[in-house]
Amino acid sequence: MRGRGATALGVAAGIAAGGAVIAVNDATDQPAAAPPRASVALAPPPARPALAIPAPEGLDDGPDVTRWAHVRTATAARTAPRLGAAVAGRVAERTPEGTTTVVPVTGRTEDPGGRLWLRVTLPKLPNGTSGWVPRRALGGYEISRDKLVIDLDAERLTLLRRGKVAMRAPIGVGQSRRPTPRGRFIVRNRLERFASPEYGPVAFGTSARSATLTDWPAGGFIGIHGTNRPALLPGRVSHGCIRLRNPAILRLARLMPVGTPVEIR
Amino acid sequence: MSLSDLPDLAALDKDGALEEAHAGLTRAGFIVGSAIGGLALWLPSSASAAKIPASDQEVLNYALVLEYLQAAFYTESERAGALKGKAKQAATTVGAVERAHVKAFRDLLGKKAVGKPQFDFQGVTEDQKKFLKTAVAFEDLAVAAYKGQARRLKSKAVLTSALGIHTVEARHAAWMRYLNGNVPATAAFDRPLTRPAINKIVASTNFIVQKKPKTSSRRKPRYTG
Repeated sequence: MRGRGATALGVAAGIAAGGAVIAVNDATDQPAAAPPRASVALAPPPARPALAIPAPEGLDDGPDVTRWAHVRTATAARTAPRLGAAVAGRVAERTPEGTTTVVPVTGRTEDPGGRLWLRVTLPKLPNGTSGWVPRRALGGYEISRDKLVIDLDAERLTLLRRGKVAMRAPIGVGQSRRPTPRGRFIVRNRLERFASPEYGPVAFGTSARSATLTDWPAGGFIGIHGTNRPALLPGRVSHGCIRLRNPAILRLARLMPVGTPVEIR
Repeated sequence: MSLSDLPDLAALDKDGALEEAHAGLTRAGFIVGSAIGGLALWLPSSASAAKIPASDQEVLNYALVLEYLQAAFYTESERAGALKGKAKQAATTVGAVERAHVKAFRDLLGKKAVGKPQFDFQGVTEDQKKFLKTAVAFEDLAVAAYKGQARRLKSKAVLTSALGIHTVEARHAAWMRYLNGNVPATAAFDRPLTRPAINKIVASTNFIVQKKPKTSSRRKPRYTG
């Protein structure tokens, strides 16, 4: 190591030695008979660190931490964590919108052969169905500390971030004949720049499905989107989707990432 | 240093990817390199980062990527809840330290800090044996990486910090080696690893996601409305 490297070694040696070196005074100003006197000169102090390393802190995920993952390969989800168990449903790599499927991960176990299995909530009817998939079928874990709460009775949406309210907005929900399903779901994609005013400028897809519109194109998934009829909100006006006024959906789009859990109650 | 000097990464190398010859920067190397280079060109300087030479900032961002990798690995291990005993305790303690490193780098670099990559640890955080092997490899890698970059630093203040982290990483390496049944220190002199060598090893693990999942689209919605 030369040049700056040598400087580095020098600095390192200085730090290692505690910053002190001993120098022998030449003693030219002393009488000839006097014994040579040793003096201690302090080396320059070590450089002040550029980084301020904070004290290590334990994990603090907050009250609403949830885990999710994207589907790496399409697979059958089973009723128990073993290969021979009955099929509870299937998870596809892609959603009907062409995005990568994401699923909430709610459990994990190892089978007698040492294979890891994950319990996931499936995007199928009845809503809330879960199944076990091999670990390798899913990608890396992601977490969310947010939660979107849809209160059907109050016709109001609340976005919580680490348990604190980040946004509230009045909403339109499903009519009595086309009710919005209750339960726990996940935001699984985000659509924008489409030419469809009735959905507003941004639309989020969820894993919730309508129990009444089962023959709806693309499976009858429940979305959260804007509207071209804001005067109807709040109210029971939709086919199951959650409608927001366009300024509100734009604000939500700035705050809410894909993977956010959704609780409809 | 050859791959055989890193036995635990070699043990993870089920498909021989680690032994493949890579020309120049590998996939992760490309991502790290391009992200750093691109950001350095256009991002405005923050107050604290402005005092640090540009070449040192680039080294700090490189180190930040490795710190992201380590912090994500230990944090996911802790969250997964599959570790037991001393391994669990080590993961919790070391994870907190690696997160502190990440925070320190990000605070210093401000807007010039590179973003966190997406990781996929492919289940090694959920298996105690695989966790320990990977932890040994990561810590040895970090020690070699810091040593390899030391000669490039111009600022004594940055070098002092890097040395402070380097020794902590070496303690982590010894700890994980002990838990994994390896001798903590066998050689009289540790050799540094160059950046391409580090990139090659990191890329071969496939822990840094190259193609992020597509979660948005311009398609017309077909939700129930």
